[in-house]
Amino acid sequence: MIQPMLWGVGTSAYGLFPERRVESLAWDAIAEAVRDAGVVPGQIDAIIVGSVFGPPGVATRVQRGLGLGGIPMWTIENACASGTSAYHEAVEAVRLGRFGCVLVLGVDQMSTLFSGAIVPEATDPEGAASLPLPGLYALQAQRYLGQFGVTREQLAAVAVKNKRNGLDNPRAQLRAAAPTVAEVLSSRLIADPLTLLQCCPTSDGAGAAIVGPDRGNRDDLRIEASVTVSGMLWDQRGSDVWGYASVARAAEKAFAQAGRTPAEIDVLEVHDAFTIGEIITLEALGLAPRGKGAELAPSGHTARDGAQPVNPSGGLLSRGHPLGATGTAQLAEIAWQLRGRAGARQVARHRVGLVETMGGGAAGMDGNACVVTIVSAQG
Amino acid sequence: MPSDVETASPPASDPAAAGPPASDLGVGRPTKRRPGAAVGGLPVADPRPVFEASAVLGCRCTACRYPVAQPGIPWCPVCYSPVAPDRFAASGAVWSSTVVAIRVGPLRPPFGLAYLDLDDGPRILVRLADPAVVPIGTRLTITGTDGGDLIAAPEDSTEETS
Repeated sequence: MIQPMLWGVGTSAYGLFPERRVESLAWDAIAEAVRDAGVVPGQIDAIIVGSVFGPPGVATRVQRGLGLGGIPMWTIENACASGTSAYHEAVEAVRLGRFGCVLVLGVDQMSTLFSGAIVPEATDPEGAASLPLPGLYALQAQRYLGQFGVTREQLAAVAVKNKRNGLDNPRAQLRAAAPTVAEVLSSRLIADPLTLLQCCPTSDGAGAAIVGPDRGNRDDLRIEASVTVSGMLWDQRGSDVWGYASVARAAEKAFAQAGRTPAEIDVLEVHDAFTIGEIITLEALGLAPRGKGAELAPSGHTARDGAQPVNPSGGLLSRGHPLGATGTAQLAEIAWQLRGRAGARQVARHRVGLVETMGGGAAGMDGNACVVTIVSAQG
Repeated sequence: MPSDVETASPPASDPAAAGPPASDLGVGRPTKRRPGAAVGGLPVADPRPVFEASAVLGCRCTACRYPVAQPGIPWCPVCYSPVAPDRFAASGAVWSSTVVAIRVGPLRPPFGLAYLDLDDGPRILVRLADPAVVPIGTRLTITGTDGGDLIAAPEDSTEETS
């Protein structure tokens, strides 16, 4: 088996760019990733794209501008995990020797589709019943409030931490100010108990990565593990909240593949589309026992200067959440952190990083897909 | 019964939803539109559970008895045995509930939603007759539908009115 390595990363800025062509966001990210990896475009022998809302054909229109035609190219839709699902397929392709230099692209332009929360999918039983995504997460949060005694202040602490981190991310969408817990809780109610400042914004953006085999470059990052899982039935038989089990399945396999424990992870980027999402994800990743994940942000454990910083980029709550781009944005942040080039956001210990992206929304499943990858710096 | 369902076709944009105001977006440019009647697109087949004669319709596994509130599945998703049509109790216990404070599709805020574990039946999403969060385990009964959504109220309140 060939050891897959992360050669380079790049991103666009994140925000509302309805005046821009979606392809230009992708070109920003790809150009930076190609420079970062130190490759020439002609070396790229496959392109794998993650996008939820496309539009159809976006990848080919991106290719046209790159002059990279003829090579294998395909697009993956795995809800919010689309970008990291594309990355995972690149990693597996390199591991098996199928390709030698794969371009991964995640891209979505939400501002041209939705002026607020994503309109629920009309063909889904719960989407048709007007369950918005913040409502789905609010149902998780209410369960945590009622079952584990999690407090609204603990939820808000996640937003305070991530929005403070985002102040130092020049590419983040929301970086005007870091709210207090009281300000988070007094912002407009979206779906009880989630308030506006506990919800990720509507966003446009792209992220890119170059994945290839070990080429003897000390700056390349070792991909110790990459795991993708699809959803399983989520129903009256289980006690877990929606989403928990899919993350736990991916995490268990990823830690086994890397031969590591959760305590060995120095820095994490996880799926905080809503505050409760980060709490449940960190439990599923094994950073806290069930019901105790809400203590990690208030205690400072997951702060940028804490024992295990989580979402030093500002996360989805600050950076924004252009669905397909999110996973590749998380990868880029972890790559910058592991190389010690995260500027004002740099965390102190940065040898091993973890990215988790969970996509969901299909009724009766514990997720659409979840990807967990563990990456480390050499030496 | 709630009367918060609009009969007129709603606008495609939702300025009251989460996220920054974007009222000028798309003005003077080509626009994209998601499918679905609720957002001004074309109608799709209704995927919601069906409530009929005081029962929720669906199917149940003939071997392991796993219940599903969806018709037309090819086999039991748990054990792959054949399934047969079944009718489920309209009462159950709340797994979790929330009140949505933004406009979604045809619904104006506030409206309450809950996952309801039907007695010996599946977990389904219902709209609360009264838009207020209810404690985990609260007993609810489905009293009817509104615009195709299943409406549920506390068991004792339905007994009082019957």
